Amino acid sequence: METAMNSNTTLAGQQPTPQPQRRRRKLALQRLALLVLLLGVWPLASLGTPAFVLPSPARVVQALMRLIENGTFFADLGVTLGRVLVGFVLAALTAAPLGILLGSNRRLGEFFEPVLPIMNTVSSAIWAIFAIIWFGISNATTIFVVYMTAMPLILTNVWQGTQTVNAEFIELARTFRMSRAKVMRKIYLPTILPYFFSGARLAFGFGWRVSLVAETLGSSNGVGYRLRQAADLVQTDQVFAWTVTLVAMMALLEMGILKPLENHLFRWKKSVANG
Amino acid sequence: MNASLHPSPAPTQGAEAAPSSDYAVDARRISKWFPTPDGESLLVLKDVSFSVERGKIAAILGASGCGKSTLLNIVSGLLAPDRGEVFLNGIASREFRQWRSIAYMFQEDRLLPWRTAIDNVAFGLEAGDIPRAERMRRARETLQLVGLEGFENAYPYQLSGGMRSRVALARSLVVEPMLLLMDEPFSKLDPMIRSQMHAELLRIQEMKGVTVVFVTHDVDEAVVLADHVTVLMPRPGRVKEVVPIDLPRPREQTRQDVIEYVRKLRTMV
Repeated sequence: METAMNSNTTLAGQQPTPQPQRRRRKLALQRLALLVLLLGVWPLASLGTPAFVLPSPARVVQALMRLIENGTFFADLGVTLGRVLVGFVLAALTAAPLGILLGSNRRLGEFFEPVLPIMNTVSSAIWAIFAIIWFGISNATTIFVVYMTAMPLILTNVWQGTQTVNAEFIELARTFRMSRAKVMRKIYLPTILPYFFSGARLAFGFGWRVSLVAETLGSSNGVGYRLRQAADLVQTDQVFAWTVTLVAMMALLEMGILKPLENHLFRWKKSVANG
Repeated sequence: MNASLHPSPAPTQGAEAAPSSDYAVDARRISKWFPTPDGESLLVLKDVSFSVERGKIAAILGASGCGKSTLLNIVSGLLAPDRGEVFLNGIASREFRQWRSIAYMFQEDRLLPWRTAIDNVAFGLEAGDIPRAERMRRARETLQLVGLEGFENAYPYQLSGGMRSRVALARSLVVEPMLLLMDEPFSKLDPMIRSQMHAELLRIQEMKGVTVVFVTHDVDEAVVLADHVTVLMPRPGRVKEVVPIDLPRPREQTRQDVIEYVRKLRTMV
């Protein structure tokens, strides 16, 4: 009894101490310094080079303003984001159950195992070419490429996660006479969730990048199409403007949604709690 | 001497006495074979009989490899015996339906790391269809019972070994079991905490009147807790002797009569 109360210290030790806070502040300062450095080098480097090779930051900002004023900026961004989301969600919806199925059924898993590396090695450009053959210039082309890139990534991760399910927990559930469906929901899913999450995160990043490749080849709108247009007209400042926009969007997504979500979902993990 | 060591559990001798509901567990001539990798079968339990009156604490004592855990799995209905029969509350295992009134505690605490203490306790109730509010109420009460009030929302990694063991105990007790089966449940704790858990178990057992069957290789643990100890011999597992422990509780390990029992049992294992 006394020891149980003494062990309070274990719990108290987990309360946020100033230490990680200071570390976080230091990290933020480092990031800021890096940003300042990059922003400092860029204009210097652009001084001696022609604008079509490396435009100055000021030019890029102007180009960005022009893009926004001309009207299709948000439409293009929205179109691309929409395609990525549809491809990604379809991938997640099919890959997660499939991963659980292949992971929990050994015979099926063994049979289909070689398919994954094959899917992972096929270049997105090849998927894009197939997509154009099959779907022509349409939304489906980009969605298909995103899907084919994202699906195996999520599948592999969920599959792996299924294999880490603790047999002791299954046995525990059996002693309570828990149904198979409940075991799936209460033991399998929580075990797999971190794997699904990291797979989905990877898949979204990849999907986003390959969507641009697909759009440059098989689309008449969207960010990728605009990028190619700008490149064809040697409007390097516009290419830079799009790039900055995309990087900023991904950083925002990562810091604003994914990281906080991860910290919340996996707060039961020691490593996450320690930052 | 032998006669006095074979006490009440009459069913083991009186060839086929009618099953009685006075006994929470009445296992009769249990045998179990396991297949070996080379395609043969190995006898792990041979004609094992033992019984436990309702509200009593029974220990199954033996070295490793004597089939203790197998026996416990058979009693819990997770494993079927190849021969023999188990009666629970006087009902044959095959016809027994109230499996959720039997709780099973493992050697490891097996807390789900993604659940808080209270949610881990409530897990015990989630197999049935008890509404969530009711599950939470009972989980909270049971956590209080094991002395963990205030730790409802702690995650397993934030708890000490002893506290985790208490949560596991609460998860077993939350179903209000009539029978609590324990497979070396405290063997991974250090000695100080282990004797605290023993005291805790005895307190709760007396309060709730639950029947306890626990498996152990630790003679001290058997003597401190049990009303009677069934000593198993290994390869194949079979009953060597049933030793009643006629001592008042609490049984301090330093007391002379406790030491006597420990010494006597040590010679058997």
